[in-house]
Amino acid sequence: MSWFGFGFNAFGQICVQEKSVQEETSDAVGEVKVSVPVELRSHVDHSCCLKTCQIRASWSRRACLHESRCVWLAGFSASSISNDTRGCRDAIISESHLTLAFPDRIESWDVQRKDKTPLWSMEIIPQSESSGVNLPLVPGGYIASKPPIFRSLAPHLQAKSLALGGDHVILLTAPGAVYSWGLGSHGQLGHGGLVSEEEPRTVEALWGVPMSSVAAGGWHSVCISGGDLYVWGWNESGQLGLPSRGLQKAPQQKKAQPTELSDVSTPEEEPHDGDKHEEVFISIQAFPALLDVNPSSDFQRASCGSRHTAAVTTSGCLFTWGWGEYGQLGHQTFNSLDEPRRVEFFKAKDLHVVDVVCGPWNTFTAAVKKGVLDLKNT
Amino acid sequence: MESLWSKLSAALPINEEQFPLQFSDKVESSVVEMLTRSRHQLYSTTRSNNQTLYAQVVLDISWERLNTGTWRDVDKDWRRLYSYGCLFKVAALCRESPSEHEILQAVRTCDMGLLMGAAVMDNILQVFVRILQSEIRKTTKEETDYVEAKRMKIVVPRVPPIKEELAVERIKCPSLESFNTKYLVPLKPVILEGIIDHWPALNNRPWSLEYLRSVAGCRTVPVEVGSRYTDEDWSQTLLTINEFIDKYILEKVQDSQSGERAVGYLAQHQLFDQIPELKEDIRIPDYCCLGEGDEDDITVNAWFGPTGTVSPLHQDPQQNFLAQVVGSKYVRLYSPEDTDKLYPHQSQLLHNTSQVEVENPDSERFPKFVRAPYLECVLQPGDVLFIPVKHWHYVRSLDVSFSVSFWWS
Repeated sequence: MSWFGFGFNAFGQICVQEKSVQEETSDAVGEVKVSVPVELRSHVDHSCCLKTCQIRASWSRRACLHESRCVWLAGFSASSISNDTRGCRDAIISESHLTLAFPDRIESWDVQRKDKTPLWSMEIIPQSESSGVNLPLVPGGYIASKPPIFRSLAPHLQAKSLALGGDHVILLTAPGAVYSWGLGSHGQLGHGGLVSEEEPRTVEALWGVPMSSVAAGGWHSVCISGGDLYVWGWNESGQLGLPSRGLQKAPQQKKAQPTELSDVSTPEEEPHDGDKHEEVFISIQAFPALLDVNPSSDFQRASCGSRHTAAVTTSGCLFTWGWGEYGQLGHQTFNSLDEPRRVEFFKAKDLHVVDVVCGPWNTFTAAVKKGVLDLKNT
Repeated sequence: MESLWSKLSAALPINEEQFPLQFSDKVESSVVEMLTRSRHQLYSTTRSNNQTLYAQVVLDISWERLNTGTWRDVDKDWRRLYSYGCLFKVAALCRESPSEHEILQAVRTCDMGLLMGAAVMDNILQVFVRILQSEIRKTTKEETDYVEAKRMKIVVPRVPPIKEELAVERIKCPSLESFNTKYLVPLKPVILEGIIDHWPALNNRPWSLEYLRSVAGCRTVPVEVGSRYTDEDWSQTLLTINEFIDKYILEKVQDSQSGERAVGYLAQHQLFDQIPELKEDIRIPDYCCLGEGDEDDITVNAWFGPTGTVSPLHQDPQQNFLAQVVGSKYVRLYSPEDTDKLYPHQSQLLHNTSQVEVENPDSERFPKFVRAPYLECVLQPGDVLFIPVKHWHYVRSLDVSFSVSFWWS
């Protein structure tokens, strides 16, 4: 299984170039924007990355979880972080903290400082190999991206998995219900308004539809049920896969303006008429909407970046949509898209995509050669 | 001949060491690293494509932080960061013989920083925009396209006749004491005549479309689009003053197939902080000194738009002097004592706004409204309307209009 990365790379978190003579910066960097998916390599050991079983990404870093139960970091000041991570089962990384789950404890470290001891830790009863901690969920609660690190969760919620968005939280429960709380200013909670919630509140619109996974981005949320994708929140860059006013329809018509500034626009709750084709644009989707994808697909996994979304189908295709300014959509352009599009790179190389993890401005995918997959299945 | 870049860099600290980048702990070190790289490029002799890229990264990350939580809660450091991003972007645009398009982009960038950021390095974006504007005036030949004044549609405004018994009182140049005793203390509306005759905007630098274009045509401003802010299809957008005049005042650009003209209004914007040249053309009314606060506490807003802009009936928490500079406006006033007949919205966001359409009230939904007593007037250039605190007011422009409001306590 290989991992690929594309998108924001200003800190070398996807790939680094050989240091050239002119390069004056202390951090080795590659291109700032990677638009063609690149296979991840470790500068320590080439085969190392093939044994990566999970990736986590923050804005400036990437964390790889190895089969060997170690965590390797790449990106901003990665080399200066020297934690003993042997035995680590799971990890999550935010811009300020790295949280590691060991069989007997969970530790949260401040990645900006060189502390000898973790900022926060918690002992846990050693779990069996199969069941593990599902970060950011921990016994009794979850790990937040900013202090206070630990937040408690009521046991009656039966938390199964949790997705941390920019300023909101999406929770999937064992029976398949979805709860949300946090900032609601852009409809990201899915309760139909722009009101923020302090406590977990059921997303009633999804009641009765059992969800299998949830994901949260900067200001949007995604969940999957029976192969279908539900989306809600802010659609300013098309991250919901719904028509977005700010985007040009035909990529070739869009002038090369990579430095286009973003404007702060007032959110509109209702769709309203577009200029040319009487199209309805959606700026904010405050209730979950079922996403229509062409060609019709069965989704098994989704992940959200700050303003983009990526999803993997059961047949091994990767679809991406939303903000694409840094190449994070993988379509080898810097255009944003307001409708899901298959990433042809993987299909062209006969790669079957099995997993996707988004950093805020980049995307990482795990893929296996189609031949290998067939072999495995026989 | 000095290049544009040498003029801009003269406004910057002399070297990298003197260039301040101080932020609170809230700004992560990775973000500071991006700024440090940008600063380094600013002073580096080797030209790199990354200058534009790094500026974009700074702008994008600070934009995301600015959009987190409510505007009021946004940490000032993120707004400062956004301004730094604008600074670096302007530098990247203007480094090497910029085209006119690039200079205009740089002006827009400065405006974005002035509108959304917080002042850094002694408000350097204000310094930059002044240098950039003089560059534009040099390079572009003056467009003698002011035939547009004749091309303006002659619209016969629906001027409502003012009933004498309902007319707002008028008084010419009252003394401070007289104004205080007769109107401020009893909170009684009045139109003050003759008190802004000395404004350059009405005198030696009279405001007109041509004048505004020449002073600030390329500057980007926030514009409200939609009939009124209580409508569902109301939104805000950013346009240059040239674009705003072309599209919404002169209607040069037909934007909708259906023929329905959308109303655009440069409303409630502190334009004079953004464009100090225009601030020189107005004065704070002397009567504001009767209030408690400092001059710094007075909020000055610009209201510039075509015929038919409507501000729905609403009340404000401060005293207001509404000065009419160009064009005329119909204003109706209701006393706070009659609030019960005005059906304010229940929601927190709009509780200071009435649900009633003043010139077309729904008497079934709002039966008490027709019995509410009111005062009305038509403001002409040179008039200043005193709207006492919490007094409900409704405003409709009768032609192309520019008003300046002063909120004071």
